[in-house]
Amino acid sequence: MSDRIIFEDVSKFYGEILGVNRVNLCIPPGITSLVGPNGSGKTTLMNLMTGLVQPSRGHIEVLGYPTDDPENLFKFVGYSTQFDAFPKGLTGFQFIYSYLCLSGMPLQDAERTAWQAIERVNMVDAASRKVAAYSKGMRQRIRLAQALAHNPKVLVLDEPLNGLDPLARSEMIALFRASATEGSYVIISSHILHEVDVISDQVILLSNGYVVAEGQIQSVRNEIQEHPTQILIRCDRPRELAAKLFESEYTIEASIHNDGRGLLLKTRDADRFYLAMNQLALNGLQIESIAPADDDVLSVYEYLIGNEEVVR
Amino acid sequence: MTRLWWTQIKAVIRLELKKTFFAKRGLWIYVVAALPVLLFIAYAVAMSHDQHQTAKIAQEGEKRLAYQDLVAIKSGMTKEEVTAILGKPPLIFHWNERRPIGPDSTVEIFHEDLHYSDGEGDLYLGLANGKVVSIHIHEGYNLGEDAVMFAVVQFFFLRLAIFFGCLGIFMNLFRGEVLDRSLHFYFLAPIRRDVLMAGKFLAGLLATCTIFVTSELLQSVAFLWHFSPQARDLYLYHNHGLEHAAVYVGVTILACVGYGAFFLVAGMLFRNPIIPAAAVLIWEGINPFLPALLKQFSVIYYLKSLCPVDIPVSPGTPGLFALLISNADPVSPPLAILGILVVALLALFVSSVQVRRMEINYTTE
Repeated sequence: MSDRIIFEDVSKFYGEILGVNRVNLCIPPGITSLVGPNGSGKTTLMNLMTGLVQPSRGHIEVLGYPTDDPENLFKFVGYSTQFDAFPKGLTGFQFIYSYLCLSGMPLQDAERTAWQAIERVNMVDAASRKVAAYSKGMRQRIRLAQALAHNPKVLVLDEPLNGLDPLARSEMIALFRASATEGSYVIISSHILHEVDVISDQVILLSNGYVVAEGQIQSVRNEIQEHPTQILIRCDRPRELAAKLFESEYTIEASIHNDGRGLLLKTRDADRFYLAMNQLALNGLQIESIAPADDDVLSVYEYLIGNEEVVR
Repeated sequence: MTRLWWTQIKAVIRLELKKTFFAKRGLWIYVVAALPVLLFIAYAVAMSHDQHQTAKIAQEGEKRLAYQDLVAIKSGMTKEEVTAILGKPPLIFHWNERRPIGPDSTVEIFHEDLHYSDGEGDLYLGLANGKVVSIHIHEGYNLGEDAVMFAVVQFFFLRLAIFFGCLGIFMNLFRGEVLDRSLHFYFLAPIRRDVLMAGKFLAGLLATCTIFVTSELLQSVAFLWHFSPQARDLYLYHNHGLEHAAVYVGVTILACVGYGAFFLVAGMLFRNPIIPAAAVLIWEGINPFLPALLKQFSVIYYLKSLCPVDIPVSPGTPGLFALLISNADPVSPPLAILGILVVALLALFVSSVQVRRMEINYTTE
């Protein structure tokens, strides 16, 4: 049995409209973020992964199971969708409880498990109210509870932080992180790039239905050759440092930080730059810190996709 | 595994029954099911009123009359001869008529209408100038004739009320979820799609059977309500009344099975319910014209064969109506039951294939 989520040459067309095209992925455990503008294919990829839509071409396996076998697939997959509709007339508790009953769980176990899931998303007080009367954030949380209820190995979350207040966001992020630490596969789509940056182990960048990059953020950044690497150096004599650095051919651009105690510099060869910095430090220049300035998701996103629809 | 599926089917039924019975979009189904009951209640009220009037006239009469007394009156008898047999009439109307017999001359005719009753039937006599010229005996309530009327209503109850009721409930089992954008709730559960379909079908069947069998039983009660206890006992226990009622309940359930399976698959294949509804209605309507082989792919063909009371087609019956109620080529009851079940299983098989192919794509709806 495979321990990966695998997409092999997967395409999905809705009539003549492209959903995703020629996607090849092998997703390991940990938190994987799907990043891309609206219509880039994030939700389609998640729906394909969970069998809500079937590929027009190609093959998908989730931990060795095909996606057209819901009976087995959803024993270890939980999906919190973006669809903001619920079966009519149910309370928050009934929503989770019914879902667990559908899976064939004995009624008493279903009741206990439903309450546990509700507790995990801090919805105990509102659980006996009708879902129709919930706020957007509460609906989001009860959907998360449904996805989490049966402790799935694979958690697929479509914009899970939408509508949540800052406290709830940090609680949910901690929850996802805990799941990932336990060896789960947490697949998240999000527009909020700084949050993606904080929580993701790897990212999949999508644009117009194509996967434009995938992997750990730093390695993705390193592969973008056409944009020089930006490095922020904090030191006491930035002008002197800049003059020395311009003596080498790999420094393209340098600018003094506004406070006069730092230097932002662009280089085509980060490895050689770091070697040179070691030499300069040995020669008596006092350097407080050196940190890459553009190996985050936001920068990678801007370089590969553009800066439209980015939420910083 | 079968035990797990059955547990899952029960979970689906619990969810669906609540939605089906209390869905706002399904309220009209209760109205459709209640209409024949209301019809029979109205009929029973009218008949009770007539019976009361008949009994009152019989009481007010000078003599206690029997049916033989009523039929003893012949045309041409004088008023004196009539009153000698029947006594003084409890109700009498009279008027004068001037009838022209030439260009300038008329003759005056004295008319009298006499109304007698033996408590169950009525005798209406028309007299002109003291002689009986018209006799009309209204035999009151007749369970035999009424049973035929009941059968006619039942036939159209099967043909229209159950047809449209099943359309409203079974078409919405999947289609309604798509319109509400909530079908993904089921599709995200670890349940086989065909087990889900079976659960939804059984929930629809339970709902339609509850609604229409209840209507059926209420119709029977309303139909029998105005008869005397003796007449009811005679009909129920000695003239197959109870047996017929049980058969109609069975036919109602089979109609729900057949039409339910049809509309379940239609709800998956079509976005607009009017198209399949019209197609099935036409198909069922043209059943008498179809070749023998094609007739078998119809629900009404088997239901007609199962109805316990033959509806007489009198010479005056309009052609289309006669065609709809007649069954020129009936099959035996076991074959009819088997036929409906086979048709339903075929439809359910197509549904199970279709449900496995279904995708969640609400934006195209």
